[in-house]
Amino acid sequence: MSPMMTMAAEEGVSDKTASIPLWLCIPFAGLLLCIAIFPLVKAEWWETHQLHAALFWSLFFIIPFAVKYGIETASETVLECIINDYLTFIVLLFGLFCVSGNITMSGDLAGSPRINVGLLALGTLLSSWIGTTGASMLMIRPIIKMNAWRKRRRHIIIFFIFMVSNLGGCLTPIGDPPLLMGFMRGVPFFWSLKLLPIFLFNMISLLIVFYFIDMRAYRKDIAKGLKPDISKPGTEIQLRGIHNLLFLIMIVAAVILSGTLPSLPAFQDAEGKVMGIRILGEVTLTYPAMIEIAMILLAAFLSFKTTDVSIRRENHFTWGAIKEVAVLFIGIFITMQPALMILKAYGPKLGISAPFEMFWTTGLLSSFLDNTPTYLVFLTTAGSLGFGDGIVTALGMIPVKMLEAISAGAVFMGANTYIGNAPNFMVKAIADENGIRMPSFFGYLLWSFGILIPVFLLDTLVFFL
Amino acid sequence: MATNRDDIKELAEHIYDLDAEVYVHLGSSLGRVFNRDRERCVNELTELLMQRHQGHLVRSELALIANMARTIEDKEERKLCMTEYNRILQEVMSLQTSFASGDVIAPDLARLNALNLQNRFKSTDHRIICISWTYGSGGVNVGFKLADKLKINYYDADIFEAVLKRLEAEKDSVIDAASHEIHLSDESASPASAFLPVKKMTLKQRFREFSRYHGLPKRDAVFFNQSDLLCEMAKKEDFIIMGRCGNAIMTNNRIPHVSIYLSAPFEQRVHRAIEVNSGLDEKKARKMLHRMDRQHAHYYNFYTGGDWGNANNYDLCLNTASYGIDGTVDFILKMLDI
Repeated sequence: MSPMMTMAAEEGVSDKTASIPLWLCIPFAGLLLCIAIFPLVKAEWWETHQLHAALFWSLFFIIPFAVKYGIETASETVLECIINDYLTFIVLLFGLFCVSGNITMSGDLAGSPRINVGLLALGTLLSSWIGTTGASMLMIRPIIKMNAWRKRRRHIIIFFIFMVSNLGGCLTPIGDPPLLMGFMRGVPFFWSLKLLPIFLFNMISLLIVFYFIDMRAYRKDIAKGLKPDISKPGTEIQLRGIHNLLFLIMIVAAVILSGTLPSLPAFQDAEGKVMGIRILGEVTLTYPAMIEIAMILLAAFLSFKTTDVSIRRENHFTWGAIKEVAVLFIGIFITMQPALMILKAYGPKLGISAPFEMFWTTGLLSSFLDNTPTYLVFLTTAGSLGFGDGIVTALGMIPVKMLEAISAGAVFMGANTYIGNAPNFMVKAIADENGIRMPSFFGYLLWSFGILIPVFLLDTLVFFL
Repeated sequence: MATNRDDIKELAEHIYDLDAEVYVHLGSSLGRVFNRDRERCVNELTELLMQRHQGHLVRSELALIANMARTIEDKEERKLCMTEYNRILQEVMSLQTSFASGDVIAPDLARLNALNLQNRFKSTDHRIICISWTYGSGGVNVGFKLADKLKINYYDADIFEAVLKRLEAEKDSVIDAASHEIHLSDESASPASAFLPVKKMTLKQRFREFSRYHGLPKRDAVFFNQSDLLCEMAKKEDFIIMGRCGNAIMTNNRIPHVSIYLSAPFEQRVHRAIEVNSGLDEKKARKMLHRMDRQHAHYYNFYTGGDWGNANNYDLCLNTASYGIDGTVDFILKMLDI
């Protein structure tokens, strides 16, 4: 997600909406419940009616909101969310989905616990340098392919979401949008490397747990007589469409530019506001956002033009996964607005001042809400507490431990739910489409409660108390 | 409506064929629901369909096939697949709720039980005998003599040699059973020794091994190749296979066989171990037997999920101390009614 959206969210919410009633969050909860329940009880119906559900709950929010605050405010809120939040979000996902779908790895490397541990570690390390979404899209298909011979493999995808799609993004501002937001507020680019000890602690803890779970599943598969085809001596690994890595870099560059261009005078007007095309009221599609979108779409276009169709066929590339994410997340983004407004209004008044409180509050809210504005709310809160020592940011002085807690909470706990971070749902959709029975929304929650929460408790004890 | 096993098997075949067809239309190696051989998948599906409490698994498998089918680009092909899917779904939904009978017999196992000689072997099936044994029970000698009497092949270390050939590996680089044929008196080496610590390797050697074994641990690659080889051999010849989880491999691949477990009281085994290994005192023999039993149990449990020596895993368990080597051979021959 582009940091532009958060700036808009930060600046665009008017005073009128400062006291949003809690019942306006019902559509958001309703949509989440639909995502959680319908695939279990009426799967086929749900597949054809996702758009209707997203529309229904969006209107369920927009109409009462318009009645209470006026059509103009409602239109501005919805447009701001679509133009500044959703558009850049879905374009980024789309670009990465297209480019990664044009890279394929063929070979007869067999998925085993040690190979999977290696792949997860590689993906986790890669996330900080090409973003959690980029790493997820790049790594998910090879990992599915190598484990195709196995029956029990949903845990591999779940840990993939935990580690590659979330945890791995904590080391640089490229890794995860909240950190890019922090970088734009004056947090030094390489400051996030201070999270390395927590990153390593979590990565090693999760890999150990994963190894034992995967070994158990692997042995069960072998005991059932499953075996990979390794009849030929030697392994031949072939990467096709490798030139698409250039387009991947192009997309990463677009994301970095979207974070850095707004602060350049050339992109600001006399009042210091970021210039762009005014859509309605205060809603503006900024030039940096347009540059980001154009670069990503160009990368996707070039990727398609320069890659043989047989690669996409081999990857079982379809539009199903991105379509599902696009449909559901427009509803999520719209219905999430009241919750974000409430958070913005009441977040600083929660009386949170200790690092462990910041870690858990930022984290738990990031599990369900967009982690970028959540991060910003608590960064602003921490900056306003008047600390005399720490990192100097545009929002004030923030102690290192406090900043670590906010950053770690926002990045790590996006893994708690399917909707906690952009790539989570995308990875799930790709896995579903490729023969892996992924757990339901609640089923996934059980995994995260059972595995991630104990790790986060350890983080609290070791790093934030 | 499918009412008996044959009908249900036919339904399972349709499900498998639909998955295969969807896969052909998609042309992708990703996402196939049933990615093993037809006969095996059909048999497993039939079992699932026969069991009421497993019904949800069949529905989930069908849902996955439908997910894939919906992504077929060609409209006509997609329509054909979805029509077939709907037909199959209707048939699955109309299945009777219970097929249980009062007999203790597990039809699946019974079909593989080679001792049921009248029904067990078809004319195309070969006679395969899998012998597991404890060290010191004379298992190797029993197996060898039995093969001689039955005039069928005896395999132990030969399998390992063939696996090395397939993997293009040097013999010294992989630890496994030493040849029982050559060292009939030395039963100390066994597949379980694959779990013994290996020598330190250079980085280059590690890379070479990584590529050779497809990224798998060496012992797993050897096991998978052994399994493949045994299944291939089972199509061509009669044989006796010593250890190597042969019974589990045959069961998993639905190959009719006789599985035999040979053991003897511990004291008896200690005496035999001392007898056949000059220089081995009682203390050392006891220690070695305990270690060997542990290693065998670990090996068997790792690759089959079952307990080594548990009577439930075999057709016949024999105490060789009660019959001696020749007596045991005669007993088995009599049982086989040859």
